[in-house]
Amino acid sequence: MGETITFWVLAVVSVSAALGLVLSRRAVYCALMLGVVMLSLAVLYAVQDAPFLAAVQIVVYTGAVMMLFLFVLMLVGVDSSDSLVETIKGQRFWAIVAGAGFAVLLGLAVGNAVLSPPAGLLGATQTAGGNVPALAQLIFTRHVFAFEVASALLITAALAAMVLTHRERLTEKPTQRALARARFLTGGSVVLPGPGVYARHNANDMPALLPDGSVSELSVNRVIARHDVEDERFPDDPKLAEAIKQAVEEESK
Amino acid sequence: MNGIQPPTIEYGQLMPLLLVFGAAIVGVLIEAFAPRYLRKAIHVPLTMLTLLGAFGLVIVQVLRDGVPTAAVAMGAIAVDGPSLFIWGVILVLSVVSVLLINDDDNFVASAAAVPGSPDEEEAIARGGAHTEVYPLALFAIGGMMLFAASNDLLIMFVGLEVMSLPLYLLCGLARRRRLLSQESSVKYFLLGAFSSAFFLYGMAMIYGYAGTVDLGGINDALGRVGGQDTLLYLGTALLGVGLFFKIGAAPFQAWKPDVYQGAPTPITALMASGTLVAAFGAVLRVFWVALGNLDWDWRPVMWGIAILTMIVGAILAITQTDIKRMLAYSSIAHAGFLLTGVIATGEATQNANSLSALLFYLLAYGITTVGAFAVVTMVRDAGGEAGHLSRWAGLGKRSPALAGIFAFFLLAFAGIPLTSGFFGKYAVFAAAVAGGALPLVVVGVVSSAIAAFFYVRVIVLMFFSEPAADGPTIAVPSAGTAAVVALAAAATVVLGVYPQPVFDLADAAASSLFVR
Repeated sequence: MGETITFWVLAVVSVSAALGLVLSRRAVYCALMLGVVMLSLAVLYAVQDAPFLAAVQIVVYTGAVMMLFLFVLMLVGVDSSDSLVETIKGQRFWAIVAGAGFAVLLGLAVGNAVLSPPAGLLGATQTAGGNVPALAQLIFTRHVFAFEVASALLITAALAAMVLTHRERLTEKPTQRALARARFLTGGSVVLPGPGVYARHNANDMPALLPDGSVSELSVNRVIARHDVEDERFPDDPKLAEAIKQAVEEESK
Repeated sequence: MNGIQPPTIEYGQLMPLLLVFGAAIVGVLIEAFAPRYLRKAIHVPLTMLTLLGAFGLVIVQVLRDGVPTAAVAMGAIAVDGPSLFIWGVILVLSVVSVLLINDDDNFVASAAAVPGSPDEEEAIARGGAHTEVYPLALFAIGGMMLFAASNDLLIMFVGLEVMSLPLYLLCGLARRRRLLSQESSVKYFLLGAFSSAFFLYGMAMIYGYAGTVDLGGINDALGRVGGQDTLLYLGTALLGVGLFFKIGAAPFQAWKPDVYQGAPTPITALMASGTLVAAFGAVLRVFWVALGNLDWDWRPVMWGIAILTMIVGAILAITQTDIKRMLAYSSIAHAGFLLTGVIATGEATQNANSLSALLFYLLAYGITTVGAFAVVTMVRDAGGEAGHLSRWAGLGKRSPALAGIFAFFLLAFAGIPLTSGFFGKYAVFAAAVAGGALPLVVVGVVSSAIAAFFYVRVIVLMFFSEPAADGPTIAVPSAGTAAVVALAAAATVVLGVYPQPVFDLADAAASSLFVR
């Protein structure tokens, strides 16, 4: 009885979470929905006499895999939304038709199947002396080779990640001494004035004033200046605003 | 202690497989510890000796012990006659493909550098190279061997992934036209992951039906479990989707042209030959061993897929302008021809006949394919391989020998007598006729005729049109590439003129059928 109640409660929760996962446009919501689906599955496993599987589900999927998803989201940026432009015309329509058709087929088929009463796991696990020993017996006897060969998969994955992302440093990393020497040799400005020096503002995007009162364009941080120009966020002083614009123009040259 | 009996693993029979995997792991260690300038010098002999050694072990095993009659490694792997033959074929094809991989100039200097960036130019100038290609290829070859010899669905899935994962990566490592190569890699990875998911879902359904993932156990369950046919049909269909994707049968063929075109040509050669052989081994095991008594139910669907595959492959090949895409569509058509042999089941002798025909076909087609792709690597212009067909115009006048050999390979694909392709097709079609699939054979012959049209079109283009003024140059082949072309041409001739020994071998391998 308890099993049935748990199932029907979790069925509603997990299916609606799964639908939310597919339909939500915010990647973070999708990830959270996925977490809900995985946790519901874990509870279902636990109810069905598989406590070990439930624990693994929580530790591995809800713990590790979800964290990976969130890390990737963090790196890509929470706000970046996927382009929803269809590259193949009518693709979305046909994908929905095919998906719905498959769902109906699956629902009808499984609903139609005369399922024999479930045997449950208890019988199988009790002969081996419990849930974990039963799993151990399968993993270390019947399926030991599959278990061992999976290592090839892990090695390949690690090697593949290295090949695709690791870039070896082909040139020596320039030392500070070498950088300073290069700067002197090119005859450029030896020391850049810090932003805000002699300025009336203590902000990074404000150009510095030289001792004679003129504006030093060199002191403007180029990245910040670009944002200022893009957002049209200039200081009141026209001289300073001009300096920021100049800095961006020089950058784009 | 509740006394788990330690598993028995027949290391002797599994030796070829273990040798390949072991050498792959040693290769990874070499990457970690050997100095850069020594790596290739160690990898090449290690890889070649491993593959040749594994081939030798297969032969020794057959000569000494004959064909084993029981599954090994606790019933996970079936080292039976067909497995040993397929292992031999895969190892031969891999040796030849690795000779192509050895060739410089096919793989990217630094995969992590953005295409066209100064970093990439510097990496090329410094002669960077990814020697990881060798262990990755060995892993893929080991996966192929495992995939074709698996005796339960779980190990088949692991084999499928071990085979595919290195190939996904290797596809993205072409030296030239890198964006195309990376695109092909991503496409292959995404679609491959999709098809693996289908396979896994099908596995779950079948397990729900039979209560076991063992192929023999599923066969037993067919007669025992009643009233749950829906699960069985769903599982069969989903398993089929996963497997048909790997052999590139229509309507799951879309990845093949893109991936074959983008991947480095030696890898394309390995995929077009080895993966196809391994995937057919797996198809035969699933549909003959596990679902053999269900043939009345899967046969109509398989008929449709075989017909569609042959026709799609043959007709779309005509419209192609790129040589590698054309060979990809030709490979799709050949997958269709091979499927006619899978359908031709019946009594035990009929099964043995079909199986032997399929084994011969796989060997003949695989070796010709590697040869054809080896020729493709040699026709180059400034931007690398000259892929566009118009660039091949007049090749026969500038380099008659090479164009002649390529024309010979194309005729073998078309199945002209005196080539290996003829006997392959003849054997498969004869088996299909004996199995009562005459209409399929008619479709097969018609699409062979369509296919012959575009093969002949390329030959005409090479020999009877004027060469372009700025046409591609023929690279002086390295010893490895020359050996590959010579070997493939020789095999195509020998199998076309005197195929009997190989037929006998295939018969012997097929006579005991699969162990259960």
